[in-house]
Amino acid sequence: MQQLYISLTVNGDVHELNIEPRRTLMEILREDLELHGTHEGCGSGDCGACTVLLDNEPVPSCLVLAADADGRQVVTVEGLVQNGEPHAVQKAIVTHGGTQCGYCTPGIVISSVALLNENPHPNELEAREAIAGNLCRCTGYQKIVDAIVAVGRE
Amino acid sequence: MRSWRWDVNNYSVIGKRVPKLDALDKATGRAQYGHDLNLPGMLVGKILYANVPHARILNIDISRAEKVRGVKAVITGEHNPVHKFGYGADNTPLKADKVRSRRDEVAAVAAMDDDAANEALALIRVEYAELPPLYSAEAALAAGAPLVHEERANNLFLRYNYAHGDAERAFDDADEIVEEEYFLPYVTHAAMETSFALAVFDLQNRLTMWSTTQIPFLLQRDLSEALGMPGRDIRIIQPTIGGAFGRGLDVYPFEPICALLAKHSGKPVRLAFTRDEEFFATATRQPAHVKMRTGVKRDGTLWARDASVLLDAGAYISWGAVTPLVMMETTASLYRVPHAKFVADVVYSNNPPTGAMRGYGNPQSTFFVETQMDMLAEKLGMDPVEFRLKNANIPNSETPQGLKITSCGLRECITEVAERIGWERRSSVSSNQLSVVSNQSSVSSNQSPVSNPQSPIRRGIGIACTLNVGGGARIYRSDGCGATVKVDDFGRVTLISGSTEIGQGSETALAQIVAEVLGVRVDDVTVINSDTSVKPWDVGTHASRTTFIAGNAAWIAANQVREKILDHAAQMLNVSPNHLEMRDGMVRVQGDAAGKGIAYDKVVRAMHYREDGNVVSGTGWYDPPTKLVDKDTYKGNISAAYGFGAQAVEIEVDTETGQVRVLKIVAAHDVGRAINPMYVEGQIEGGAQMGVGYALSEELQVREGRILNPSLLDYRMPTALDMPPIESVIIETADPEGPFGAKGVGEMGGNPTAAAIANALYNAVGIRMNQLPMTGERVLRALKEKERMENGD
Amino acid sequence: MKPFTFFSPRTLAEASRILADHNGNGRALAGGTDLLIRMKRGQWTPRAVVSLNRIAGLNEIALNGELKLGARVTLNQLIRSPIIREYFPVLAATARNMAGVQVRTLATVGGNLCNASPSADMSPPLMALNARAVIVGAAGERVVSLDEFFVGPGKSVLQSDEILRELIVPYNSRAARASYKKLEHRAAMDIAMVGVSVAVEFQKAEFGNRNCADARIVLGAVAPTPLRAKRAEEILRGNILNKENIAHAARVAAEEARPIDDVRSSAWYRREMVEALTRRQLMEIRDLRLEIGD
Repeated sequence: MQQLYISLTVNGDVHELNIEPRRTLMEILREDLELHGTHEGCGSGDCGACTVLLDNEPVPSCLVLAADADGRQVVTVEGLVQNGEPHAVQKAIVTHGGTQCGYCTPGIVISSVALLNENPHPNELEAREAIAGNLCRCTGYQKIVDAIVAVGRE
Repeated sequence: MRSWRWDVNNYSVIGKRVPKLDALDKATGRAQYGHDLNLPGMLVGKILYANVPHARILNIDISRAEKVRGVKAVITGEHNPVHKFGYGADNTPLKADKVRSRRDEVAAVAAMDDDAANEALALIRVEYAELPPLYSAEAALAAGAPLVHEERANNLFLRYNYAHGDAERAFDDADEIVEEEYFLPYVTHAAMETSFALAVFDLQNRLTMWSTTQIPFLLQRDLSEALGMPGRDIRIIQPTIGGAFGRGLDVYPFEPICALLAKHSGKPVRLAFTRDEEFFATATRQPAHVKMRTGVKRDGTLWARDASVLLDAGAYISWGAVTPLVMMETTASLYRVPHAKFVADVVYSNNPPTGAMRGYGNPQSTFFVETQMDMLAEKLGMDPVEFRLKNANIPNSETPQGLKITSCGLRECITEVAERIGWERRSSVSSNQLSVVSNQSSVSSNQSPVSNPQSPIRRGIGIACTLNVGGGARIYRSDGCGATVKVDDFGRVTLISGSTEIGQGSETALAQIVAEVLGVRVDDVTVINSDTSVKPWDVGTHASRTTFIAGNAAWIAANQVREKILDHAAQMLNVSPNHLEMRDGMVRVQGDAAGKGIAYDKVVRAMHYREDGNVVSGTGWYDPPTKLVDKDTYKGNISAAYGFGAQAVEIEVDTETGQVRVLKIVAAHDVGRAINPMYVEGQIEGGAQMGVGYALSEELQVREGRILNPSLLDYRMPTALDMPPIESVIIETADPEGPFGAKGVGEMGGNPTAAAIANALYNAVGIRMNQLPMTGERVLRALKEKERMENGD
Repeated sequence: MKPFTFFSPRTLAEASRILADHNGNGRALAGGTDLLIRMKRGQWTPRAVVSLNRIAGLNEIALNGELKLGARVTLNQLIRSPIIREYFPVLAATARNMAGVQVRTLATVGGNLCNASPSADMSPPLMALNARAVIVGAAGERVVSLDEFFVGPGKSVLQSDEILRELIVPYNSRAARASYKKLEHRAAMDIAMVGVSVAVEFQKAEFGNRNCADARIVLGAVAPTPLRAKRAEEILRGNILNKENIAHAARVAAEEARPIDDVRSSAWYRREMVEALTRRQLMEIRDLRLEIGD
């Protein structure tokens, strides 16, 4: 069976890995790097729970072959905490009540960060568009949207 | 012991928007879910499903599967313990003699990896002799229908027969009557985390299972039945649970299967559902076929109601079979109605087994009750709001069904949402499109704006109400919960609660209750609630009960601790304990904020470090003053408090495509007291989201016992762009029995939404939809039908 | 997923050679948002997966008389591209209504076409814009009109060694006002029940003449392949774009559709929606034209 040597930069750390070609980026993150914050909700790109930043763009990591991410930069929800300080989006999700069961939350945080990187002051509609690919079953989205808009107003 | 020593206006943490205890862990990816667990030597468990709807099993050949490298156990019905399990005592982990639905479990494997497990499953050969299948409740009740369970005389599992007054005769005296037939679909929880179990036996044959269950102690009992082993040898641990919504209210075959695989392999076995498995192998909400008529007096007095419900329970019976208890409550007691009759038949078929889901019968019954309320109002020429206010329940009353309504803010809820949605615009909204000015952002990117007088877009406003148990629900003989509170030397307060956190935030509400009683910060309180070997007993998280029941238990336990601390502090300060209070981390004389006091942890240390010292802890048990409903009449006060709510919606209908879009939801709910308004709103808003899905887009399409859309792509729960802005309004009525006056709120947010949307649709375009979801196609068909009728074709 | 060998060639020729070597058992990987799902489900079990990720030039967007759209251009690239937004706004709008942001980072124009799903959103507008596909294979290069590109559900004219390199889209006045409407159950994350794209070119304005010079109407999700409603187009061609002609064309487009019943919609509804979406878009084009008075 073919083995590939790849190099991934994840949350600033370089990882040299020996992988089977069929493994997805999500599997590498969860199983090999034990970054459990990236959640599997469906495995088919329908829910957004496994969203990570790949070269600063949000992607469903379940639909990326790790081999295809060779040499690229990955940021997961864990990587948004810098020197013990959570990202403004993470704090806003906490203070606005934007997480309940929390399973979708890491994906939503990543999508929101991607939005704010591009558009620092999103309105409510832009916030909704940015997380439309992230299904949440608990919150009705209102408090998540409030949190994103609030970060833009800070 | 109940004494209100707390000044409502002077709470320090009750009523505050405190973030969930686990929110930061969840937002930073630190929370550990079942799917994240990994034990040394852990195997992968997988299940082989029958995929034939009804058949006798002639032979199962596992010999080739057993030879696959990496396979450690292959089990079939032969490995089952003898006992059947489940609410209907009709299920076994693996099916030995016959299969009764396509999702019936016939074999399972444990292997070192997914590949080996999948290969082994593919090599198992099952021979069936197919039997005629039953694909609906109607077919199952027909004379001569084949039996799903041959030991039974027929396919009717249970008939509920409720009556008060004399509905039959009362209809003769009614001035106006409406009668309709409803078809309600299969829907499913679709929690973001799929079902999960991880089982391991120790060498003394004791089982530990990590589980996404909502009922750890009942699971302990149910597993003991399913596995034929003592419950005391079973320990259930609940990791962080990624949503459940009723999915975890029963034991389901995958759980004993996981345990059996662990037993036969001698290794830890992890059984995590794939997403499509989650759709076809979890128990869904029952589809229902309903007929109901309601009669009313000319002055607008609700007079008589008569409903009959046919529920297709599928191949096995779960606690979902009990949902008629809730349906009859809405039918008979949401409003005052002197004559009511309710019959429900729960029927076996060869469709997928069904179960409990958030609302537990209430979204269904609220839909038919509340749409008929609007029809009656129209017949009477009354405003729907006025009609509801006239018949609404009032505080301190007892319904003919025996519900003792204490606190009740239904009228306030109705008035509040009517005002906030702009009810007075209702007639103009639907008749004159151009007069409407929307004050919220339009979220659709692919629809024409309403700027054109030829526009096919119509608007409408609708309202619906709900009644939901809010003080527990005695469906088991006990509705109790235990709690222990202890304080350590450093002032860390630990609440060990029997209750279960599935994401709703109840553990944070419990921490707030304890913090308020002890005058400490919420940050000073840890909640331990995830291990049956640690926590005291509880029946589980269901029926919107946790804040109310577990909250009262925690309140009692915390008060014991408080009294102990005050007693000792009184000796230290040489004052009467009755004059002391705990606040801001201090014990001091009441009302003397500046006066001398002692830090509470110092008091605790003084209690530990002395001769005849003692542990500073308290233990509470709360079982509400309610009773099981009478087994023949179904009457009785099932809950210690009742929650009420009203929702008003504004919608837009595209008359060319039939598609409905919700523009705004205003939701007012009487929750007694909001321990934490942020998460009360969270329950309301999340409920409304499920309600929007139920109304417009969610349907598990079951044809010939097969689920056609087992994916998050084709089972369409609303996205952020489908959900409108939601304005949540909390009505506080300070329930006399609730902890700090709180009532439950977990379910009612989703009850009235679909009815409110259906009423708004009628307001917009004059069509009545009696089938959910109200998809574009169904609405368009109804519009064309209406056009045809009006043209007299 | 079943095991496979992964290739990441630097040139199209090499990619094509690898696919040729695998003789039908290879698959080109662009965004992967369809391919990986089918591989995970076991619907496709290729022995070789050939990533197009490292091949230079496949994600170019260039306008030089005609638009050159690289096959590996992603949906998010389309949405952001100033050229697309200004000159081919229908493509940006179409991309924006597909899936969610994260899938759009990966999903490509070429992938959407090559999977040849009857409901693919990119096919109708690109066909309405009269796009041509530039295909590279072992035997060299060939150009195929998108009208001829689709063969059946999941089948295009691509041979097993062939790769779509780019699309060539003519630029003319109709490109600016072409439109695509998709009917879906949700406002995002959904597959089209019906998709209709309409592009109209008007005759030169003389003596107040506002006749339609040419129209292309393309229907998605209502036939085994994206379908040109040629009889409907004929009704408009050379005629004035008024309410009556529009209604007539829309009705005929609905007759031309060959929809089926499936889990997403009934054939009846699809046909109704072809008519509604066609009429609505033609009316919008007419209204816009009256407004700007060209």
